[in-house]
Amino acid sequence: MLSNSPPLTGPLAEREARKPTIWETLTSERYFRWTLLIPLLVLLAIFMLYPLIYSIYFSFHDWGMQGDPTFTGLHNYRQLVFDENFLMAFRRTLEVLVICIVVELGVGLGLALLWNRDFRGQNVVRGLSLLPLLVAPLILSLLWNFILDFNFGALNHVLQAIGLPKLNLWKPSIALFTICGMTIWQWLPFSTFVLLAGLKSLPRDVFEAARVDGASRWYTFRRLTLPMLTPLIMIIVVLRSMWLIRLFDPLFGTTRGGVNTELLDWITYRTSFVMFDIGYGSAMAIVSWAVTMALCLVMFRQLMKQMAPRT
Amino acid sequence: MKLRSIHAMWGLLLMLGFASRTYAQSNFSLNDVPELKNKRAIHLILETGEAHGKAIPVIEAFTKKTGVPVQVERVASSGVYGKENVELMAGTGHYDVVYVETSWTTEWSDYLFKLKDLANKVDPGKYASLEKDMANMSPSILATGQAYGNQMVLPFYTFDMTMWVRQDVFDDPTEKANFKAKYGYELAAAKTWDQLHDQAAFFTRKKGEMLKGQPLDHDLFGLSMQAGAYQDNDETTARLWSMDADWVTVQKDSSGKITKFVITKKDKEALKAALTEYKGDLQWDSPGALTANFDFVVAQIGNGNAIIAPTIWANCTTWADGILKEKVPGGKIGAYPTPGGHPYTGAWSYGVAKSTKNPEAAYWLVRYLTSYEAGVRMFKEAGLIPGRIDVMETVAKDGPEYPLGMLAKYHINIWKATGANIPNYYYYNTKAGGKVYDNQIYVLAPALTGQKTVDEVVEDLTKQTIDLQNKFDKTASCVEEK
Repeated sequence: MLSNSPPLTGPLAEREARKPTIWETLTSERYFRWTLLIPLLVLLAIFMLYPLIYSIYFSFHDWGMQGDPTFTGLHNYRQLVFDENFLMAFRRTLEVLVICIVVELGVGLGLALLWNRDFRGQNVVRGLSLLPLLVAPLILSLLWNFILDFNFGALNHVLQAIGLPKLNLWKPSIALFTICGMTIWQWLPFSTFVLLAGLKSLPRDVFEAARVDGASRWYTFRRLTLPMLTPLIMIIVVLRSMWLIRLFDPLFGTTRGGVNTELLDWITYRTSFVMFDIGYGSAMAIVSWAVTMALCLVMFRQLMKQMAPRT
Repeated sequence: MKLRSIHAMWGLLLMLGFASRTYAQSNFSLNDVPELKNKRAIHLILETGEAHGKAIPVIEAFTKKTGVPVQVERVASSGVYGKENVELMAGTGHYDVVYVETSWTTEWSDYLFKLKDLANKVDPGKYASLEKDMANMSPSILATGQAYGNQMVLPFYTFDMTMWVRQDVFDDPTEKANFKAKYGYELAAAKTWDQLHDQAAFFTRKKGEMLKGQPLDHDLFGLSMQAGAYQDNDETTARLWSMDADWVTVQKDSSGKITKFVITKKDKEALKAALTEYKGDLQWDSPGALTANFDFVVAQIGNGNAIIAPTIWANCTTWADGILKEKVPGGKIGAYPTPGGHPYTGAWSYGVAKSTKNPEAAYWLVRYLTSYEAGVRMFKEAGLIPGRIDVMETVAKDGPEYPLGMLAKYHINIWKATGANIPNYYYYNTKAGGKVYDNQIYVLAPALTGQKTVDEVVEDLTKQTIDLQNKFDKTASCVEEK
C-alpha cells in the first residue's frame, strides 16, 4: 500500500526529510511519557535517592561529623540488635501504630456511617471536624501540653471545677496512650472523610436489592458495605502506617521522649541530630525505612489484590 | 589654714577624679571599639524569649557605633547545639559569633578562636586589654569557658543554680515554731539534703490545711523540681557535686594535661545515691514534675503551689518573683546555695568561629555583649545574670535590695565558695560534652519515672558515657574503675 502512495511534496516532504527537532522528539508519542516523568525522577533522585544512598553509606561507618568517616561494616546494625532503647522504641512504635490505626478506622467508620445520612447542620459539623487536620502537628502538641499539664492544664481546671480529681495523663504507665490520643484526635478526620467519600460512592442498587431480599442491616454492612470499602481501608492503613512509623511532632511539644514515650523517629533524631552519632543514627533510619517499606509492601499487595477486577 | 583647706579640697577632688577615671577605664565600653574597616555583616544566635530580647538594643548600639550589621537568629536554647554544631563542623562560617553553653566549650575548641590569639591580632590594646576586662569576671564562670587552659568564650549570662525558698513562709513565726517543735531545729534554708527532706515533708500539705495561719485553697507541695527529660541531669549534677563526686573523674598529670577519664567506684556510688535521693524527693513534688522543665518550677513557686525549689536556675528568679507578687500578695523568694553547696554552674557564652569572614567585628561584638555596660543592662532589665563581679558589686551596692541585690550577693558568695572545683569538673574538660550531656537527660529519666531501677540506669549510663567519650574525644581514654 505504502509503495503506491504518491510521494510527499512541499513542507511535509521537507519535514520528513530533515531530522526532528528536540521539541518534536520530546513531544513525540514515543518519548512524551518520559518527558513528563524525567523531571519528577530527577527530583526524586536528588531529594530521595541521594539521601537514602548517603544514609546507607553512613550506616556502615562511624562518623561524628569530625574528620573522615571510619568504615565499621555491620557494627552499627549489630549494635542495634542489642540496643535496649532502640528495641523499646521500636516496640512502642508498633503499639502506637496498632492502637491508632484500629481506633481511627473503628471510630472513623462509625462517624462516616453516621454522617452518611443527611442531618441538619451537617456541613458545619463536617467542616469543623476537619479543623484538627489543618493545624500543624507541632503546634497541636504544644497546645495539648498546655491542656494536659497536671497543675496548670485546662483539663484539670475543668475537672476540679466540677469536683472531680485531677488527672495525670503523663504518668509513665499511660503517657504513650496520651500520645496516641493526641494523634488519633488529629488524624481521625482523615479516615472519617476517606470512608465517607467511599460510602457516598457505593452503588445504591446493590443495597436496594439486599433490602428487597430482606437482608438485615448488620448483614448488609458485613457482606456489602465493608467489602466494598476494603480498598479504601487498605489505603488508609498503608498511609497511616507510613506516617505513624515516622511519628515525631507529638513528642516534641510534650514529653520529648521521656516518661516511656520514646518512639523510633525520636530516638533516630536524638542519635543523629542531638548526639550527632551520624553512623549509628543512619543505621536506625535505615532500619526504620526498611520496616516501613516491608509493611507497606505487604499491605500494598493486599490492596492490589482487593482492587483487581474479579472474574 | 584657709589656703591649706583649699589645697586639700583640690587634692581630694583630683583623687576622686583619678579614681573615677580609673574605674571608668576598667569598664570596657563601646567607645573603646576601634574603627572597623571590614563592614561585612556578622551572624549570631540569640535565645528566644522576652528576657533575651533585651539584648537586641545592645546589638543595635554596636551596629550604630561600628557600622557592622548584625543578623540575629532567635533560637530556643534546646535547638542551639544542633544548629551550630552542623555549621561549625562543616566550616560554613554561617555563625561568626558562636553561642556556647559552656559544657560544649572543649568540644568546639578546634572551631573557635582562642580569645588570647584573637585579641593579640585585632585589639589595639592586645591581650592585656581583654585580660583587664576579664579580671572583672567571675573566675569560676570564666573557667567553665576554657579549653585546656585557653579562654575560648566569654560569659553572656550565667545559669548558676540556686535554691529558692518561699522566704515569707520561712520567716513566718507560726511556721517556724511548728517546724522547730516537730524537728527540733530552726527553720532555715536547708544546707544538707536531709534538712531539705524534713522541710519538704513539713510543707507538703493538702487543701484545707493551714499555711501561715490561713487555710490552703489548693494542695501544697514541699518541693518543685524539673525532673522531665530535659534538665534532670543538671539537677543530678548539683547532687553529685555536693557529694564531692562527678559523672566522670578527670585525671591530669602534674602539667595539667588530661591523662585519663575514669568513672570511679565513688562516682558510680554517688550517682546511685543521688538518683535514689532525687527519686525519693519526688514524693513531695507534683506528679507533673516528671515532665517538667524550669518554666514549670517557675510557675509552681510563682503560683504559690510549692515552697522550695532546691535546684533551679538563678536567672529565673525575677521571672518567678514577678508571678509570685501577682498571685500571692506578700510572697517573697529567698535565694540560697543548693543543699550541699555545689550548684550546677556554667554560662551561655559567646565566642568567635574560626571560619568567620569578619573576626575583628565578631571579637568586638563578643566583648561588648559580655561587657559591664551590657551586663548591667541585661541584669536590671531582663534578670539575666552576667558572669561579672563588677556588675554584681554595682547592683549589690546601688541596685534594689530585692530581688536583684539578693541575687548579686548570692552570686558573689557562690563564686567564691565553688570556684576552686570548677576547672576539674568533667563537663569542662571533655570534647564529648555536648553528646554526653544530652544523652544523660534521656538515660536518667527512667530511674525517676520508675521504668528502670537506679542500678540499671547507672549501669546503662556508665556504658554509654564510656562509648560516647571514647568515640568523640580522643585526647585520653575513658574507662570504668573495676
